[in-house]
Amino acid sequence: MQNDFAHEVANQRQTDPDLAVSARELTKRFGRFTAVDGISFDVRRGEIFGFLGANGAGKTTAIRMFCGLLPPTAGEAQVAGYDVRTQPRMIKQTIGYMSQKFSLYEDLTVAQNIEFYGGIYGLTRPQIEHKTGLLLDELNLRDRRDTLTQSLPLGWKQRLALSVSLLHDPSIIFLDEPTGGVDPISRRNFWRIIYEIADSGKTVFVTTHYMDEAEYCGRLSIMYQGRIIEIGTPGGLKEKYGLDTMQDIFVHLVGGDTRKEAKQ
Amino acid sequence: MQRILYLVQKEFRQIFRDRSMIAALFFVPFIQLVILGNAITTDVTNLDLIVTDLDRTPMSRTFIERFTTTEYFNLVEVEEDYQALRGHLDNGRAKLAIVIPKHFQRDIVTGRHPDVQALVDGIDGNSAGVALGYMARIAEQHQAQIIRMDPMLGRPLREARIVHAEPRYWFNPELESEVYIIPGIVALILLIITVFLTSMGIVREKEIGTLEQLLVTPIRSMQLILGKVIPFSILGFVEIVVAMGFIYVIFGIGVEGSLWLLFGESAIFILTTLGVGIFISTISETQQQALFVGWFFMIFAILLSGFFIPIANMPDVIQYLTYFNPLRYFMVILREIYLKGTPLHYLLPETLAMAGFGVAVFSAAVMRYRRIIK
Amino acid sequence: MRRRLMAIIRKEFIHIFRDWRTLLIIILMPILMIVLYGYAITLDMRNIVFGVIDDARTPDSRALVDAFAENGFFRTLPRDVRRNEMESLFMRRDVHMVLVIPEDFSADLTQNRSAVVQLIIDASDSNVGTFVGNYAEQVLGIYNQRMNHAVPALFEIAPRIFYNPDMNSTNFFVPGLVALILMLISALLTSIAITREKETGTMEQILVSPVHAREIVLGKVLPYVLLGLVNAALILLSAWILFDVPVRGSLALLGLLSLVYVFVALSFGLMISTVARTQLIAMFGTLMATILPTIMLSGFIFPIASMPELLRWIANVLPATYFLIIIRAIMLKGVGSAELWPQALILSGIGTLLLTAATRRFRMRLE
Repeated sequence: MQNDFAHEVANQRQTDPDLAVSARELTKRFGRFTAVDGISFDVRRGEIFGFLGANGAGKTTAIRMFCGLLPPTAGEAQVAGYDVRTQPRMIKQTIGYMSQKFSLYEDLTVAQNIEFYGGIYGLTRPQIEHKTGLLLDELNLRDRRDTLTQSLPLGWKQRLALSVSLLHDPSIIFLDEPTGGVDPISRRNFWRIIYEIADSGKTVFVTTHYMDEAEYCGRLSIMYQGRIIEIGTPGGLKEKYGLDTMQDIFVHLVGGDTRKEAKQ
Repeated sequence: MQRILYLVQKEFRQIFRDRSMIAALFFVPFIQLVILGNAITTDVTNLDLIVTDLDRTPMSRTFIERFTTTEYFNLVEVEEDYQALRGHLDNGRAKLAIVIPKHFQRDIVTGRHPDVQALVDGIDGNSAGVALGYMARIAEQHQAQIIRMDPMLGRPLREARIVHAEPRYWFNPELESEVYIIPGIVALILLIITVFLTSMGIVREKEIGTLEQLLVTPIRSMQLILGKVIPFSILGFVEIVVAMGFIYVIFGIGVEGSLWLLFGESAIFILTTLGVGIFISTISETQQQALFVGWFFMIFAILLSGFFIPIANMPDVIQYLTYFNPLRYFMVILREIYLKGTPLHYLLPETLAMAGFGVAVFSAAVMRYRRIIK
Repeated sequence: MRRRLMAIIRKEFIHIFRDWRTLLIIILMPILMIVLYGYAITLDMRNIVFGVIDDARTPDSRALVDAFAENGFFRTLPRDVRRNEMESLFMRRDVHMVLVIPEDFSADLTQNRSAVVQLIIDASDSNVGTFVGNYAEQVLGIYNQRMNHAVPALFEIAPRIFYNPDMNSTNFFVPGLVALILMLISALLTSIAITREKETGTMEQILVSPVHAREIVLGKVLPYVLLGLVNAALILLSAWILFDVPVRGSLALLGLLSLVYVFVALSFGLMISTVARTQLIAMFGTLMATILPTIMLSGFIFPIASMPELLRWIANVLPATYFLIIIRAIMLKGVGSAELWPQALILSGIGTLLLTAATRRFRMRLE
């Protein structure tokens, strides 16, 4: 019964072309452990939507469900209008994904990595060549075209990984802790690119546990123990709680116990 | 289809990027051939021998000479002191000692049938057994010589009616063990290379995180598997050809039967090894695990394949066990084609069994893999 | 120093125990191998099927065929064989041998006191071929004795077998297995464990912390030493329980020299890890440099003395060669340091050399 109702809602929403991601009571359990516990929210096209939470709050599990990597235990979710349960392949063609783990082949050159992922996404040879040129120019890597990826500095590797995940021109891009281990300057540069991506009309869905990054998001949800405990714009949240920084809001909501995990 | 091509291209790039990998791929079979081809021998030669001659007569000396002139024994010392012999065996100076008793010559002549004592280090039971066989043969030759020189002594022996054997060894007239061992090494190389490349190659992507990146692309799991399987089977075939070339050049052993049959059978066998490789990758989180599971599988597959222990020598229970070992069939097939030129219709039971295993293992592994990455 | 070292050791143990599959294999593999080898390797073949072409068809020739058939080794093909089907019989692997008795067999025996029969043997496996040939000779010997009512030889050889009187292959095999497993675990696990940290990038993390190369190496290596020794003890125990394989000499001496050997093996693993970039390469490198020579060239199965000269040279620089002599002597001969000091000395020499070279190279790679 519940499922029927959820389907109805889903079908209605599917007609709304303005929604990039939507979740209703989305739940994932591993055995007796509930990693994601009935989260519901909508993300509109062109938004930069953040998932803020400590390690183990369920961010990565949620994002893996949206990408079609994990089937949900209960609840519904649509990405770009496609159902995560029944249409994972359609979703995969329309999204980009970059994970906290560096995901390029270190033993291939920069150009070979671009070529490979281009080919995997079904780009034609001329398209790949064209994209490679654009991308190398954009990242200022033209003279590093044939160097092994492993010899690039970490910040560049991450920008390259991001660009590679955009090769097939996805309308939504999922970034799972994209700036882990990077210095603050590189991080700021990285966010400049994220804004550019959003400006071109793409939706950016990003998870983070850095409080300063949370400030950059257009809208964000705070996750704690698998649940969304607060959702809104950074400005709106500050106003609501009368606090000055996201750090304070986070501590206020979650309590002191996770402070050490949520870094400045 | 295009996606598979990109996967294959990527795989080859990764393999050929690494010079040590190429070395491993082509150097390993070479070394294996040289070492295995020469080391695995059932001949026993150069056994370290110590002699104590308490008789010191022409008859005892000629007897000792027979030992020193064959390649089977290697005389390290003539020991005067009978009591010291045990010490030489203890510290490993010799593997066996022969004691010719006092009055050896006199006792033979007077028909008292003396005993020559042989002290044997029995730790390596196989070598010890072979050595006893050599000694018996030498004793027989010596006896024949004594009889020739003194016909009176051998009268009862000469009057006997004796049936002699004239053995003819077909397919390998010189009884060279490498002729038999070496085609088997081709099977081993193929097994080792394809199982490890496949299992570790897949697990490696899991370990470094690129697998997850591939899974969010619209690629199908079957394409992913083919993208791994195709380059590794190509490499497997290259390995076979390289190994066969080495075998021809180094050992002068060519294929007696049909080359195409050999390749066809190899293709069926590769199906099994790739299946095993994929299966191992589904139960391993790290390359280290894959490696150990792979070793585990291989040690028993090789042991029970008849590669260096004839299956006929095993107890019945273990012989039945070998029927579940695909390598057993491939070993037989390779050797038959290599040495006897046996045509397909005589190899049909083995081929069918191997194909059955191949299809079963491969499809089970692929199914499991697809379930796992979902 | 000690606290940092303990931290690394603890971490390595966590790796080992979390990975229960590997642990299970490490522990199960040698025991299974002992069981299989213990039961699988017997040196006598049974049920050698042979075909008969009897052109003589006399009581003498039938008696000869019976002599083969009633012996435990041979079994007759239930029908006579035609000359032109011999090749296909061999190709189908229906027979191992064909006994050809010529037409004038009985006539020769009575007139010339000697007759010749042909044994056509499938020698594609030279080993089996030799076995079959030897057994056939034995059967002929028995036949001849029976026909001539036992004429004694001029003299006999009276063998006395020491250390392993039944020439039991398990006794031969178990000490070798200990040497192999110690090498496998120590060299392979170390090289893989270190390369793994390089490949997954955690090595960098350790390197930025204030640890010495010495500590990293020791911390990585000690847990595997322990694992190896525990494993060796398990092998000895199960071999003793299942097959009565004894340890006649001093256990303490065996333990001490095993430790020396383990350090040699670890140094090998360390050396390989300084060269290899990926685990796959480390695996192939270890396979080539240690495992294969240990199995094939150290005298584990095949006697060194029978090998060509070049391989004998290689065998002489292999640590396993010396350790095998040591462990077999202690276990089966029950001898001690008085007999074994030369091997122990050489083993320690190789160990010192390798460990120094490996740590130096390892430190060089880090800096």
